[in-house]
Amino acid sequence: MSEIVIEVGKRHIREINEEIQDACKSGKPIRVVDTLSRHNLGVGLPDGADITFEGSVGYYCGGLNTGSNVRIERNSGWATGEGMAKGHIEVGGRAGMSCGAAMIGGTIHVKGDAGPRCGVAMKGGNIVVEGTIGYQSGFMAHAGKIIALGGAGESCADALWEGEVWVAGPVESLGVDVNVIEPTAEEVAEVDAILEPLGLVDSSRDWRKMVSGQRLWYFEARDASAWLMI
Amino acid sequence: MCGIAGRILNAPGTVGRDLVALMAAQEHRGADSTGFAVYGAPMDAGYVLRGMGFDKAQMDGDLELFRATLKDHGADLMGDPSIITDANKHYCFRMEISDPRDLAAWVKDTDELSGRIEVQSCGRSLEIVKDIGGSEEVGEKHKVHDMIGTHGLGHARLATESSVLPNASHPFWARPFSDVAIVHNGQITDYFTWRDKLQRQGYRFLTENDSELIAVWVSDQMKQGLSMEQALRKSIHSIDGVFTFMITTPDGIGFAKDRFAMKPLVVIEQAGELAAATEEQAVRTVFPDECEVINHDGPSLVGIWGVGNRSMAA
Repeated sequence: MSEIVIEVGKRHIREINEEIQDACKSGKPIRVVDTLSRHNLGVGLPDGADITFEGSVGYYCGGLNTGSNVRIERNSGWATGEGMAKGHIEVGGRAGMSCGAAMIGGTIHVKGDAGPRCGVAMKGGNIVVEGTIGYQSGFMAHAGKIIALGGAGESCADALWEGEVWVAGPVESLGVDVNVIEPTAEEVAEVDAILEPLGLVDSSRDWRKMVSGQRLWYFEARDASAWLMI
Repeated sequence: MCGIAGRILNAPGTVGRDLVALMAAQEHRGADSTGFAVYGAPMDAGYVLRGMGFDKAQMDGDLELFRATLKDHGADLMGDPSIITDANKHYCFRMEISDPRDLAAWVKDTDELSGRIEVQSCGRSLEIVKDIGGSEEVGEKHKVHDMIGTHGLGHARLATESSVLPNASHPFWARPFSDVAIVHNGQITDYFTWRDKLQRQGYRFLTENDSELIAVWVSDQMKQGLSMEQALRKSIHSIDGVFTFMITTPDGIGFAKDRFAMKPLVVIEQAGELAAATEEQAVRTVFPDECEVINHDGPSLVGIWGVGNRSMAA
């Protein structure tokens, strides 16, 4: 099947995104070229489209995705896939700050490192990072899994809600109100089921699973020390 | 939110044009005002000044007063000043002066005229140009595209902590330290505490902009014996707030980033040349091909980039 090629360059982003939306209706693969790290490319993609960004993109690429399969061949800027509900985003290089912020479903797969606050306030879905996740990743994640095959930066999983942060490598430091627990075999199998379609299963990994300590969920005067940790 | 940029070339070149492009790509981060700091060929003696007068109806009288302060300190103009005016009430000037007997003492005296006329940069090679408006507009008005130099800074300002005034625009000169300039993206929350301490040491601030404070703070630390790197590292734990700032001397550019990692900085280095900016799409205006991009997006970071392999020990 032939692909539709869309040029970015210095054109207005609204015009490019309208062209992408029209191309999605054709059912053909879409290749976006000369991306020049521009912001807001491919925001609000529909279900079922297949789109490749050739090169690096700026902020919010793939944000509010509702089911498209998105490939970014090199790096992505801040808030890649912010608020996405469904679909798959692959970042070939590194992802900037707040990757997958507030996402509610779907999967983001970062082949390099992810910057600070990866998965901040996410409410579902999965983020798989082959490298490391940056400072304060998982901050206030309500649901979903952040899975880092490399390490994690400072203040990891700070103030988690019901989200989970899984790290296979070294963790620089933990955030407040985090418990590190030994995952059960069933839980590891769940994570492997997420990694399997990405070809990333490795049974030798030494997982650290981080969950909320739940001391910050509700304020209680008798436990004020937990709040003073912030 | 503001946008900042830095540029280093291997040899004197079109650094002004590059800075205009870097800032035009970030104009959405703040279109209140734009400014540039460019390091051109250094003078052997004397200083180049850039500044602003606030009422062009009073220009002749104010410039005469200004010249009188120079003469009082054993210096004078080395030629006719260049004056830039438009429909605005304020005007801008560029002038070259011979060496005052004591630069800091002369700067202190000129500060007495600050309601009427204000020096905004003083250096052997530093020139700061800043004004109300976007990058292309300010660049065109002040012929920044034609400014030749080795390195410099740019700033697009979204005014938050102080007014939209031409003199509250960035970059800021670290008065009275010659050839030191700064651009800053962020907010300093203990601004008044530090300003009070520095004022008690004799420093003067002509605006209420928190970035003016950082320029003087870092320079003062270096005056007390710290290296640039030590001063930048100390700033992370001494100054409260969220910030990424870049500071320049004739030797290069240094940066510091706060403990909370809220303000981005993206860098491309190729063959000894460098572009740094708040947004990657800005640095791609001078390095358009796909290449290695360094995201300094972690907390508590400092870095120094020398010009022509010079260190930043100034």
